[in-house]
Amino acid sequence: MSIPDQSKMKSNCSNQKDCMEMLQLIVDGEASPEQKEHFLKHHLEECLPCYKNYHLEVEIRQLLKTKCTGEAPADLIEIIKARVAQNTPH
Amino acid sequence: MEEELVPKQHYSDAEKQRIFDNEFMPHINSMYNFAYRLTLDQDDSKDLLQDTYLKAFRFIDSFQQGTNAKAWLFRILKNSFINDYRKKSKEPSKVDYQDVESYYNSEDVDRQITPDLRVEALRDMIGDEISNALNALDIDFRTVIILCDLEGFKYDEMAKILDIPIGTVRSRLHRARNLLKEKLSTYAKQMGYKNA
Repeated sequence: MSIPDQSKMKSNCSNQKDCMEMLQLIVDGEASPEQKEHFLKHHLEECLPCYKNYHLEVEIRQLLKTKCTGEAPADLIEIIKARVAQNTPH
Repeated sequence: MEEELVPKQHYSDAEKQRIFDNEFMPHINSMYNFAYRLTLDQDDSKDLLQDTYLKAFRFIDSFQQGTNAKAWLFRILKNSFINDYRKKSKEPSKVDYQDVESYYNSEDVDRQITPDLRVEALRDMIGDEISNALNALDIDFRTVIILCDLEGFKYDEMAKILDIPIGTVRSRLHRARNLLKEKLSTYAKQMGYKNA
């Protein structure tokens, strides 16, 4: 997506409730290609609140992915493997 | 899992072990994270993870190869948490969930929660702010954020994992994100962002 000239964009969205719903579908990968095309390539170019909201949602997801994931402790993984092996007759 | 009407498989011991190793174990980090975010306790999350994997192995004949192993495992973990851990949770009993949901579904909340949070403020959150904000959410809201944003589940998969309709998945996600933004906005203000 290109970086639009913010001074030429609408500062109010006349359809904010529907746009927020569409934005959620897009960020969640649930929108159709047509919906994505329309919203990302057309609407976001001209609507400042939606443009900002979109980037905010993307940033929050990025932050969640980098800050809120972790790895299972190695010793725990070994314990689980060993307990399952005990349950399997050889 | 066991209550679902899927044709029961009859795997050999070698097949069971292979499915466990190749289809279940690769999700162990995601599963541990889910367990931790649900219990918010290191020891409980270890126990929950172990119980879930042993249960998954015990009920492996209910798993159909070629279906989504990750969703199947997450559903078992979620059910184990509700049945075995939520009751003994150290948290004081919360308000009834239906009350919470109907409150957050009211129009008032949409009007209240429109924080002017900025991307710049988020980029300065290099500590535990986002993790704390997530953990502070009511458990049902926390869960949908984990499943969708951290784990990338689709709405229909989330509906199956949580036993709720897709429409509820969508509305709950919407509320959850608003609440998360509200908390992040509070942190941003504390960090000195005036209009955050």
